[in-house]
Amino acid sequence: MDRRDFLKTVGAGGLATGVIAPAEIEAQAGARALGPGAVPIKLTINGRAHTLEVEPRVTLLDAARNRLGLTGLKRVCDRGSCGACTMIVDGRTIYSCSTLAIEAQGKTIRTVEGLETAGALHPMQKAFCDHDALMCGFCTPGLVMAAVALAEKNPKPSREEACHALDGNICRCGTYVKVLAAAMGQPAVRASLDGPPDDRAERGRGVGGAGGGAPAQLREEVRRG
Amino acid sequence: MAKWPSSPDLLGKRIPRLDGPGKATGAAKYSYDIQRPGLLYGRILRSPHAHARVRAIDFSAAEKAPGVKAVLPIVDPTKGEAKVMYHGDEVAAVAAESEDQALDAARLIKVDYEVLPHLATVEQAMRAEAPKVFKEGNVRPANAQEDGDIEAGFKAAAHIVEGMYSTQVQTHNSLETHGCVCEWEGENLTAWVSTQAVHGTREGFATGLGIPQANIKVITDYMGGGFGSKFGPDVQGIVCAKLAKQAGRAVKLLLDRKEEHLATGNRPSAFAKVRAGVSAEGKFTAFDAETWGTGGAGAGAGFNPLPYTVYQWGARRRRHQDVYINAGAQRAFRAPGHPQASFITEVVVDELADKTGLDPLELRMRNLPAEAPNAMWVKYFPMAAEKIGWSRRHKTGDPTPGPIKRGLGCAANRWAGAGNKQTKAHCDIHPDGSVVMQIGTQDIGTGTRTIVALITAETFGLPVEAVRADIGSSVYPFAPGSGGSVTMGSISPPVRVTAEKALAALAAKVAPSIGADPATLVASKGRIHVQGDPSKGVTWKEACKMLGTETISVDGEWQEGLSSVGTSGVQFSEVEVDIETGVTKVKKIVCVQDTGTVIDMLTAESQCYGGIIMGIGFALFEQRVLDRNTARMVNPNMEWYLLPGPSDIPEIDVTIIDQPDRGVVGLGEPPTISTAAAIANAVANATGVRIRSLPITPERVLAALQQDRRGGTL
Repeated sequence: MDRRDFLKTVGAGGLATGVIAPAEIEAQAGARALGPGAVPIKLTINGRAHTLEVEPRVTLLDAARNRLGLTGLKRVCDRGSCGACTMIVDGRTIYSCSTLAIEAQGKTIRTVEGLETAGALHPMQKAFCDHDALMCGFCTPGLVMAAVALAEKNPKPSREEACHALDGNICRCGTYVKVLAAAMGQPAVRASLDGPPDDRAERGRGVGGAGGGAPAQLREEVRRG
Repeated sequence: MAKWPSSPDLLGKRIPRLDGPGKATGAAKYSYDIQRPGLLYGRILRSPHAHARVRAIDFSAAEKAPGVKAVLPIVDPTKGEAKVMYHGDEVAAVAAESEDQALDAARLIKVDYEVLPHLATVEQAMRAEAPKVFKEGNVRPANAQEDGDIEAGFKAAAHIVEGMYSTQVQTHNSLETHGCVCEWEGENLTAWVSTQAVHGTREGFATGLGIPQANIKVITDYMGGGFGSKFGPDVQGIVCAKLAKQAGRAVKLLLDRKEEHLATGNRPSAFAKVRAGVSAEGKFTAFDAETWGTGGAGAGAGFNPLPYTVYQWGARRRRHQDVYINAGAQRAFRAPGHPQASFITEVVVDELADKTGLDPLELRMRNLPAEAPNAMWVKYFPMAAEKIGWSRRHKTGDPTPGPIKRGLGCAANRWAGAGNKQTKAHCDIHPDGSVVMQIGTQDIGTGTRTIVALITAETFGLPVEAVRADIGSSVYPFAPGSGGSVTMGSISPPVRVTAEKALAALAAKVAPSIGADPATLVASKGRIHVQGDPSKGVTWKEACKMLGTETISVDGEWQEGLSSVGTSGVQFSEVEVDIETGVTKVKKIVCVQDTGTVIDMLTAESQCYGGIIMGIGFALFEQRVLDRNTARMVNPNMEWYLLPGPSDIPEIDVTIIDQPDRGVVGLGEPPTISTAAAIANAVANATGVRIRSLPITPERVLAALQQDRRGGTL
C-alpha cells in the first residue's frame, strides 16, 4: 500500500468515523459504513470458505477462535506485540489480534491448523518437536507460523535473518535458542534414540546460539525506546 | 525397594516431549481454548483508583445491556466496608454472550468511589508523615538475623565495601493469562483452569464456594506458563464459578494482558544497604545489610537468604522491613528471593575483589565451602571459567579504545527442590498391553507429562510412546503444585514405585508359563524375561494377554531413596556495552548446572536455556513502572514491559552434570537465579563503573559513566 492509499483508507474508515455521521461518509467516500451490528462476511481460511456474521469490531483472531473453533493461535498481548496470533495472509505474516475479520475478506488466510498435510506434521512443526523448541507451548503456534513464513521465502536463513523474522514473537519460557535452531534448519542433536548410547556423566552439552551476529537494528531501537 | 536402573534405556537421554506435536499443531487445548455448549464470557470490572472506598455499585444499566446473563459484586458495600487497595483491584463482574458484550456491559457498571490517600512508591510509604494506609502499618519490620560477631568481623577486615543495591518489581507475564472455564451440573463443578496446582485449586474452589471438594473437578490438560503465580482459583476463578451458577451456563473468564500485569502477582522489589568486609588474605569477614522492599498491597517482600548462601561469610547481620504500597501483591516467582539476593551478594563480592586486587574468581574460590553432592561450586567455577575463556579477562574497565567495551562476570546458584512425600500414583496394565500411569500433577511447560511416561516406559522396557500419561486432573492421585522445583522429586519416585509394583504383579502372572521364579524376571526391550537370558521369556503383548480379562491396577506411594535435595550451579557471562548509547548486549552465557539424576536431558537443557533467558530479562529489560502520583502501572502490556526476544539471545552453552547416584532433584528454578548477577558483574568489568540497580538500562549505564567521570560512583 502506498502513502496515498494509506491516507485514503484512514480518511474513509478510520479518523473520519468519529466526527462525521456514517451517511455523510458514504456520500463523501462512496464507501458503505458497516456496523455496529453484525454483518455477513466470507473468510477463506486454510483453503476452506467460511460464511459468518460478525460485528465489524471483531478481529480475525477472535473470529477464528470463537466462531470457527480454530483455537491453535492465541491471544496474548492483544495489541500486536507478541506474535502468538501470527497468521499468514496472502503470503505475509500478520498479527491477527490487530486485524479486523472484515478486512481479511477475499484474502488467502493460513492458520497453524492448515500446516499439516494428510495428518503429517509440517517439517517446521517436526523440527520444533525434535529440537524441543517449545515448553508451555502457548507461543508455539505463532512462532511456527512465523518460522514457516520465513522458510517459504528463505529456506536457509542466517541466524541474523532468523532473528529478524522471529523478532515479532515473544516466548516467556525462553525457547528461543531451540526455535532459532529449528528455523535455521539445523539438525536436532540426538533428537531420536537411534544413536549410540553416550556416557552418563556430563552428557548435557547443549550449545545454542551463534553470538557474533549484529542485533536486528529495528528491534534494538524499539526496545531501547 | 525401588531403585533407578543402572543401565537405563531411556533415562537421562534426549527424549522429545510427547505433547510436542499437539503444541506445534495447535491441537493442544488450553483452558483458554475450551469451548462448551452455550458458553458465556465473563469480565471483571477493576478499580481505576489506587485506594478507594466503594460506596455503591449500580448494575441497572449493565443488567439491561445486550447479551448479559449474570452480574456480580466482588466487593459489596451493602455488606460492610468495601475497599479497593490498588489500581486493578477487583470490584464487580458480568457474564455475557460474547467477549465484546461482556466488556460493553462491564463499562456500564456504575461505581461510586470515595478516593482515599494512597502510596505509590516505597519512598512515599517509608516517610514518617505518610498516611497510614495499611492497618498493620505501611512499614513492618521482620525479625533481625545475626550470626557471629559482626563488629569483630569488620575489625578483621582489610577492605570494606559499602553500597546501596536494588532490584525491580518483575511481573510473571505468563503467556496464557490467569483464568478458567467453569461449568456446573447440578451441584457439581467442572473447572478447566490455567493452574500449576490442580489439587490445590480444587481445595481453593471448595473453600471459596463453600462446597465439598468431592463435587469439584479441576482439569488442566495444558497450561501456558505460571512461574509461581498460578496456585489457586484466585478471585477470577471463584467469580467465574459464581457467574456460571447464576447464569446456569458455562462461563469462560480469562484475564487480559493488562489485568495479568496488575493483579496476578510479581517478584517484589528489593533494596539493600550493604557493608561487607574482606581480610588481607581474601577471606570474607563480615556482611551487614539493612534491607527492605515491597510486595505491593497484600504481601511482604522478604528475600532470603542474604548474603546469598553460597560463600562463607565470617559474621553476618541482616535487618529487614516489608514496605506496603498500593499496587498488586507479589506472589512466588521462579526462585522467590534468590535472584535478588544473588544479585546483591555477587555484586558485593566483585566489589570486594576490586578492593583487594584479587581476581573475582580467585576470591570466590577462597570463600567457597568444601565440595559436597549439593554444593559443587569449587568444581563448577573452574569448569565454566575454562569454557568462557576467563584467562582473557582484563581488570575492571576494558582498556580497549572505542565505544564498545567487553567484559566477563560470574555468579553461583543453589536451590533445594525436594519432593513432596505425600505424592501418589496409579497404574493400569491392560490385557491388550496398553499402559496408563495416572498422577495428579500438571505440566507447567517443563515436560512433566513426558517424564511420567518416560519413567513408566523405562520400568516396563517399552518405548515412551507406549505409555499413556494421565495428568492434569484433580481426579488423579495427589501430587503437589508445580512450584519450588518440587515436581520432579515428588512425581518421579511414586511413578517408579507404582510401575515396579505393577510389573511385579504382571511377572507373577506370567512366571509359571515361563517356568521361572517371578523375582528373576525383568522387563526390557519389549519383553519380560529371566534376567540375563532374554530368550527365556515372552513379549510384553504376550505377557499382558495372559491377564485374560483382568487389568492390573495398582497404587503406589512416594518412597525415600529415589530423590534428593539440593542443586548447585554457576553461570558466566560475556557482554558488550556501548558506552555511547549505554546499550548492553549479552554475547555469551556459560552454564554449568547439576540436578541429581537426569530423567530427560532434552527438557532439562530447556529449563536451563529458559531460566537464563528469563534472567536476561531481569538483568536488562523487565520492570513494572508505577506512576508516582497515581500508582497506576504505566506499562501493563508487552510493548513497554520488555521481555527478551530472539535478537536478545546470546550464545548459551549449557552443561548439565548428571549425578545418577543422587536421585532426582528439580531444576526449574536454579538456572534463573544467577544470570542477572553474572551479567551485572560483566557490565562492570566492561565499563569500569558499577550499576547497583536492576534492570541495567542504557540510562543507568550512561548515568553511572557520567558519575564516574565526575570522580564519584553511583
